[in-house]
Amino acid sequence: MSVHLAALDHGVMDPAPVRYAIRIHGHLGATVLSAFPALVPQHHGADTVLTGLLDRSALYGVLAEVEALGLDLVEIRQLTPQRRSPESGDSRSP
Amino acid sequence: LTVDRAKPRLISRGDLLAALDRAAARKVTIISAPAGSGKTSLLRTWADRPEQPHRLAFMQVQRDQRDAQQFWLALLGAVRQASAPPGRAEPPAATPNFNGRAMVDRVLSELAGQRGGLILVIDDLHELISPDALAQLTRLLTNLPGDVHAVLATRRDLPLHLQQLRLAGELAEIRAADLRFTERETRELLDASGVTLSDAGAALLHRRTEGWAAGLRLAAISLAGHRDPERFVAEFSGSDRTVAEYLIAEMLERQPDDVKDLLLRTSLLDRVNGELADLLTGRPGSEPILLALEDANAFVVSLDAGRTWFRYHHLFADLLRLELRRALPEEVPVLHRRAAGWFIRHGQVADAIQHTQAAGDWADAARLLADHSFSLTMDGQAQTVRALLLAFPPGAPADDPELALIRAGLSLARGRLDEAAAHLAVAESHAETTPPDRQRRLRVAIASLKLSLATRRGQLASVTEQAKFLDSPVTGQSDEDIALDNDLRVLALMNLGTVEGSLALADAERHLREGAVLARENGRPYLEARCLAQLAFASRVRPFATTRRRCREAIALAERHGWGSEPMIAPALITLAANLVWTGEFDEGERWLDRTERAVQTDTGPDIRLLVHIVSGMLQAGRGRRHEALREFSAAEHLGSQLADSHALASQVTGWLLATQARVGLPGEARAYLAALDDEQANSGEVGNARAVISLTEGNPAEALAAVTAVQDGTAPVIGYVTLVETHLLAGLALRELGDQRGANQAAERALGLAEPDRLVLPFVMTEGSGELLAALPRHETAHAALLTDILDVVRGSSLAAKDQQPSPPAEELSGAELRVLRYLPTNLSRPEIASELSVSVNTVNTHVRNIYAKLQARDRSSAVQRARELRLLSAGPTR
Repeated sequence: MSVHLAALDHGVMDPAPVRYAIRIHGHLGATVLSAFPALVPQHHGADTVLTGLLDRSALYGVLAEVEALGLDLVEIRQLTPQRRSPESGDSRSP
Repeated sequence: LTVDRAKPRLISRGDLLAALDRAAARKVTIISAPAGSGKTSLLRTWADRPEQPHRLAFMQVQRDQRDAQQFWLALLGAVRQASAPPGRAEPPAATPNFNGRAMVDRVLSELAGQRGGLILVIDDLHELISPDALAQLTRLLTNLPGDVHAVLATRRDLPLHLQQLRLAGELAEIRAADLRFTERETRELLDASGVTLSDAGAALLHRRTEGWAAGLRLAAISLAGHRDPERFVAEFSGSDRTVAEYLIAEMLERQPDDVKDLLLRTSLLDRVNGELADLLTGRPGSEPILLALEDANAFVVSLDAGRTWFRYHHLFADLLRLELRRALPEEVPVLHRRAAGWFIRHGQVADAIQHTQAAGDWADAARLLADHSFSLTMDGQAQTVRALLLAFPPGAPADDPELALIRAGLSLARGRLDEAAAHLAVAESHAETTPPDRQRRLRVAIASLKLSLATRRGQLASVTEQAKFLDSPVTGQSDEDIALDNDLRVLALMNLGTVEGSLALADAERHLREGAVLARENGRPYLEARCLAQLAFASRVRPFATTRRRCREAIALAERHGWGSEPMIAPALITLAANLVWTGEFDEGERWLDRTERAVQTDTGPDIRLLVHIVSGMLQAGRGRRHEALREFSAAEHLGSQLADSHALASQVTGWLLATQARVGLPGEARAYLAALDDEQANSGEVGNARAVISLTEGNPAEALAAVTAVQDGTAPVIGYVTLVETHLLAGLALRELGDQRGANQAAERALGLAEPDRLVLPFVMTEGSGELLAALPRHETAHAALLTDILDVVRGSSLAAKDQQPSPPAEELSGAELRVLRYLPTNLSRPEIASELSVSVNTVNTHVRNIYAKLQARDRSSAVQRARELRLLSAGPTR
């Protein structure tokens, strides 16, 4: 709770958003899709794949919606290559 | 209505009920499965079946519950309701200063008091979004009394740490796969809902829904009124859409327009009644629709026995909300505004603020929250206030001075003083731009919080002057404004009086009394008890009888509301403990001290912990445990040094610390510390006494006598007369060692004379050697023989029994002359000797003695003395 508060108070941000693909069983209709305005839907067979740029808290928000709407989650995949590129200048690495 | 014709019932799922019965024999059962799996339905059929052998305490966690206290109050309420006769359960009282640990203890003790066992059922536990509450719940679950069991239902596995129970085989789980409908159950559900469907159709439906309870129920509702059920199932099977969305769309489509409209528009409420639904739909007649929907088992459930409030199944409501936003986007803020208006008219402020925020009316929401945050906090919803505060978006309203003020209050309540100061600074810097009608309110609130912050930091001297304007009452406002402001004013008076009390300023008692009266008028027992607790503390300079009465009054009020061990009552608890220790009633004093320690467990403020160490030190010293006393006084000295300004008892603590060091054989350390003191401390009477103690232990009575001279003649400032009692005793000890027995006796008699009004015992016990000093005092030379006897008892190691148990009062009050005679009865003086002491005739003394016996219903001198001691009539000072 305290971490949560501090984060809000001091505007600490998540790392940069990453592209995710979230596969859900069944075709989502307009009503359910309106719960995921930041994601682009595409039908793959009997599934729907939602893609979009999400930071960590947005991702958990999406997962909470999936849970709340009783959707059948099949897979979550990160599409962007990992952030550990040499030019990121991560000085903490040994 | 279409739904009216459909009558699907909850079918009795025998195998599942038996599984739950088996599970419930373990200590804890967790039903963990996704939305719509039929958890609630299972719990309801299980609980409501006629042959249910167990007593159940049933609760459903409120949607998005972030307030640990609200959760626990609901849980305790459910436990009480299960055990009390119908309608007689006393709802537990909320407190602004929630102590989760104490709450769990309370629930455990009420559960332990249950006879015949109980099963605690908590549904929708995943809605509890409070790590604290979950941790507390873990403690409850792992400590359930023997015949109490728990059944929890949740959408997802929760961080409850129940490994112990699992290892002990006391944890049972029912998961999604167990809840899935079998084909046979699907058939039964369809039959019970009056649906005619072929076996092939039923099997197809079962496959398509994968036995998912919500899907089957939704399908049953649509199928019940359908002309061609087989075709419905075939089309549903052929569709790739998700089950819930498909079926809800189907169901909605089949509803008449007014039902559909009602469902959509009211979906944004967490709970709904007929009146609210009428307001949101703009049409009358909503209540019969809600009743019909519940009868049709269409995901609408009534919340009360009278069936006036309803809520929608969460999954159903979530889908309806999405549909509402899609179909009528421009209506959404309007509906929230209407709902907010209804809630504010019905005094449900938290709901009103939530809907105002949802409407996007941030400025209005900020003002509402500012106006009510204090009342909400008083009503035990501090965490709700915090959650509402966090719901504001970053930006303009976040800089709102009134919101900054609420943030400051919350930080302060959690002991985050720097954070509170920062928020206060934001509030102050924006105060100029606040509209004039809210200026005064804002300034009062700022001043009040500053005082409170200063108290917690021990930074007192600077703030009282600035806050003097709090003294003047507010006028010329509406009743509601005055009520709001009165709460604020009580808080201001309380904070002002508290600071003044710590500084021993005379205005403290007036302000606190005024605050208590106003709090009572406002119907705020919590504030009243807090004012009274501070008043008790501030009256420590009064006769002990007055102080004790005030302590007990404050404690009694707090106890009536279940706050007897809360931090807020600690000032009264510690004052009472100190008072009892001063008079040698150590055992009783220790009991109150223990209770104070329990009460301040959650409190991080140094102010009250400082007092706890001082009184512990006094108690240890009184019992002759010097090393323990030294530890306590050192801890008090250390805490005192962390306060910004020196506190009222600083020289007392230092004095006792040094004296105790000398007594345990460390006069060198004491000397070194003495040399480092600033002038103000060094010249105080308390430190003067300590000097004398050091000199005496060093075998230098002449130097000791010199050290106390300035205290005796009044040149050295003292905290109170109690210091002087010690001073005279030390002078007596020094004189005796110097061979002046007569002077020593006189000094002892002076100490007794000072101690008599309050019957102080502690200074004699703490001042080692005073036992011999008093024992040497000829009985006929003292007017304080009764007190002397008490003191010698304690010096020899006994604790005086608590005397303020209020024995029955005398038949008639004794006159002043009779009281004067009475006080000679414990001495060895004969009646003629008493007569000559009082310069009256022997006859007069005889008359008084006769009257005393009659009024005290005593037969002889010793029983009169005994009775007088019980009634505390032997003290010479005013007793009130």
